[in-house]
Amino acid sequence: MNRAHFMAQLRDGLSGLHHTDISDILRDYESHFADGIADGRSEDEVAAALGEPSRLARELRAEAGFRRWEENRNPGNFLGVVLALLGLATLDFVILLPILCVLAAIFFGLSLGCLGCVVGGTFLLLSLLWGGVMGNAAMQLLIALGLISGAIGGGALLLLLMDMIAKLLIRYARLHFRLFDTANKSL
Amino acid sequence: MTESLQIQLKKGVLEMCVLALLSKGDNYAYDIASRMAEAVGMGEGTIYPLMRRMQNDGLVSTYLQESGSGPPRKYYKLTKSGANALKSQVSEWIVFETAVRKILGDAT
Repeated sequence: MNRAHFMAQLRDGLSGLHHTDISDILRDYESHFADGIADGRSEDEVAAALGEPSRLARELRAEAGFRRWEENRNPGNFLGVVLALLGLATLDFVILLPILCVLAAIFFGLSLGCLGCVVGGTFLLLSLLWGGVMGNAAMQLLIALGLISGAIGGGALLLLLMDMIAKLLIRYARLHFRLFDTANKSL
Repeated sequence: MTESLQIQLKKGVLEMCVLALLSKGDNYAYDIASRMAEAVGMGEGTIYPLMRRMQNDGLVSTYLQESGSGPPRKYYKLTKSGANALKSQVSEWIVFETAVRKILGDAT
């Protein structure tokens, strides 16, 4: 593979990243080629030593996704972490996938539960305000407040849990970056 | 599917080795990569994901410097927290290495 071919594949693989990130990365590899050629190596030699460009692109994209999650923890970026993991597509992912599905289902259920509590609590509170007391007013107020604060606490706990899981996933993914891709064959 | 022990071990100390190289002086990625490839057989292309991660983690910083030929070169420099990370990783490594050597002592 020559320089142009390598760079084209790398660029393809990076699509979707922020354009400043892409040009930054491409510049890194361009200067690597320039340095290698100044070092007396051929374009093909440098490309072979660099490894598979599509694989490198996946790792670079995964790393960018992890960084976005670390900067801004929202569900979209969490999804980005999971997708990046999928992109790395290691064999053991087959093992990981069912676990992830179960976790996602639990998360979904718990968030729905929290939402339900907030809605129910608010409803009780509002109906109290408008005089629609069902039974004991003090009791109704306590139940409403209990439901809402419980949901808020549960939501916070969920976010904390999500953060923990993301950290684990990121650590797992980094272990699976094939840092020794090219060396692997020679060993 | 299983990787050799050697590869797993190398993955673990890669960051420490790069930090150690940079502690001897600022350097650019091509030189770091070729040193690491020679010493531990790291794939040259992976130096860039690694350097980006270390930069995100605040372990290294970069600056551009004019080179004799061609465009300016990106140099990596150890930050204060990078130096601290190196110190703690080295002491961890020494504890680990001493312990393993003690156990292996009878076997070799």
